[in-house]
Amino acid sequence: MAAPRVLLLLAAAALLAVSSVGDASGEGPRGRKLLVLVDDLAVRSSHSAFFGSLQARGLDLEFRLADDPKLSLHRYGQYLYDGLVLFAPSTPRFGGSVDQNAVLEFIDAGHDMILAADHSASDLIRGIATECGVDFDEDPEAMVIDHINYASSEVEGDHTLIAGDDLIQSDVILGSKKIEAPVLFRGIGHAANPSNSLVLKVLSASPSAYSANPEAKLASVPSLTGFLKSGVQKAGSKMSHDKAGNEQFVTETSKWVFHERGHLKAVNVKHHKVGETNEPSMYRINDDLEYSVEIYEWSGTSWKPYVADDVQIQFFMMSPYVLKNMSTDKTAVYSASFKVPDVYGVFQFKVEYQRLGYTGLSLAKQIPVRPYRHDEYERFITSAFPYYAASFSTMGAFFIFSVAYLYHK
Amino acid sequence: MPKDAGDAKLLFQSLNKAYAATPTNLKIIDLYVVFAMATALVQVAYMGVVGSFPFNSFLSSVLSCIGSAVLAVCLRIQVNKDNKEFKDLPPERAFADFVLCNLVLHLVIMNFLG
Repeated sequence: MAAPRVLLLLAAAALLAVSSVGDASGEGPRGRKLLVLVDDLAVRSSHSAFFGSLQARGLDLEFRLADDPKLSLHRYGQYLYDGLVLFAPSTPRFGGSVDQNAVLEFIDAGHDMILAADHSASDLIRGIATECGVDFDEDPEAMVIDHINYASSEVEGDHTLIAGDDLIQSDVILGSKKIEAPVLFRGIGHAANPSNSLVLKVLSASPSAYSANPEAKLASVPSLTGFLKSGVQKAGSKMSHDKAGNEQFVTETSKWVFHERGHLKAVNVKHHKVGETNEPSMYRINDDLEYSVEIYEWSGTSWKPYVADDVQIQFFMMSPYVLKNMSTDKTAVYSASFKVPDVYGVFQFKVEYQRLGYTGLSLAKQIPVRPYRHDEYERFITSAFPYYAASFSTMGAFFIFSVAYLYHK
Repeated sequence: MPKDAGDAKLLFQSLNKAYAATPTNLKIIDLYVVFAMATALVQVAYMGVVGSFPFNSFLSSVLSCIGSAVLAVCLRIQVNKDNKEFKDLPPERAFADFVLCNLVLHLVIMNFLG
């Protein structure tokens, strides 16, 4: 089936749960135990570079066959693992108590997963991917073909080994070092619904790629990690790279998937009137107040202060009355000070921070705002002087009148 | 029309002549009432311009003017010798009532003035 543009996603469905206030400091947001399910234990050695890089970063891998009858994700109500790596595309059924629902519940509970699929992907794997918002090509014989951006180091003529370099623009997902070489890919195409806001396209093929059945024989293992060391040159491009971008791409993305980058937490919300330190339970209109919050990012080993200049504080009641950028002095404390608006009611201090690749921050703290008390006005209001004058003049007139009335002749 | 203007002038002159016949004390009361109402109108005009911000002050001063006018009118009614209804009421009693009521009125407006 030919589609005008087949999108190539790195099939890593990682759910980043909304960060909660008050994580234990010093401990990361996620544990380090991963369950790796494979079709065939030979995958462990054929993909040893990838698994080696995971283990070097402190992740604890447990390899099991996908149809192992003693497989289980949880015991006595608690999950045994913190993440799942599914390198078992052709398994029709998982063993033990694991099935599609169990995997989806595992993800919904806030854990991470990497899923790999190729042309032989079973319905089980396709079903899991569809539930996560990614649809694989239904034709089991189809592969992604690109006659313009294929790798020219391959001698096969069917151009199924393509070079993709349309990467998402995000330092937090792909690391701060730019991936220079294109990423080699051979496999099936998949698509994500563009209206789905929870799915990110990390790597796409060029617009000249499509998915169809080539006549040549098909590759039989997921090939994304098979090209960590081979050189690549895009046909038609003059640049030649010694090493494909695969290794860097896969390593950096797995760092993001397993929360070593981009996981934020916000703690210590404080607010007080300017000049005081205690936190009042109520403000008055036209008060000056200060708000501060601490935002940290998990760096893989510790919580480091998160530095950005676009975190905003809202003073919100049905709509934001005040919307201000918070400033930071690089010590994780974000603060802003503003004047309470001239409207009374129940407001909220709101911080809404959703950025590509980062956990979303959604903080709200309710605070009432009261109008002036009757003794908080100035003692004599200038605009009321005519009224004061009129009242006193009436009293004076009454006095003069009674004198005149009593003593006139 | 010249005839209407002449009629109005005649009407005005006859009214004036009739009014000149009222006793002096009633005329003094009338003058006091006119002063109070004029002050009230000035207050309302000022509020229309500036807005009603210290509304209690506005109400207090308007109440003071109108209340004084009302009390003065009551005094005039009771003191007027042509009034059959109050024939037996001594005018001193009427004046004393007037003074006491004014005291209460001014106490109230001083409180409400803010």
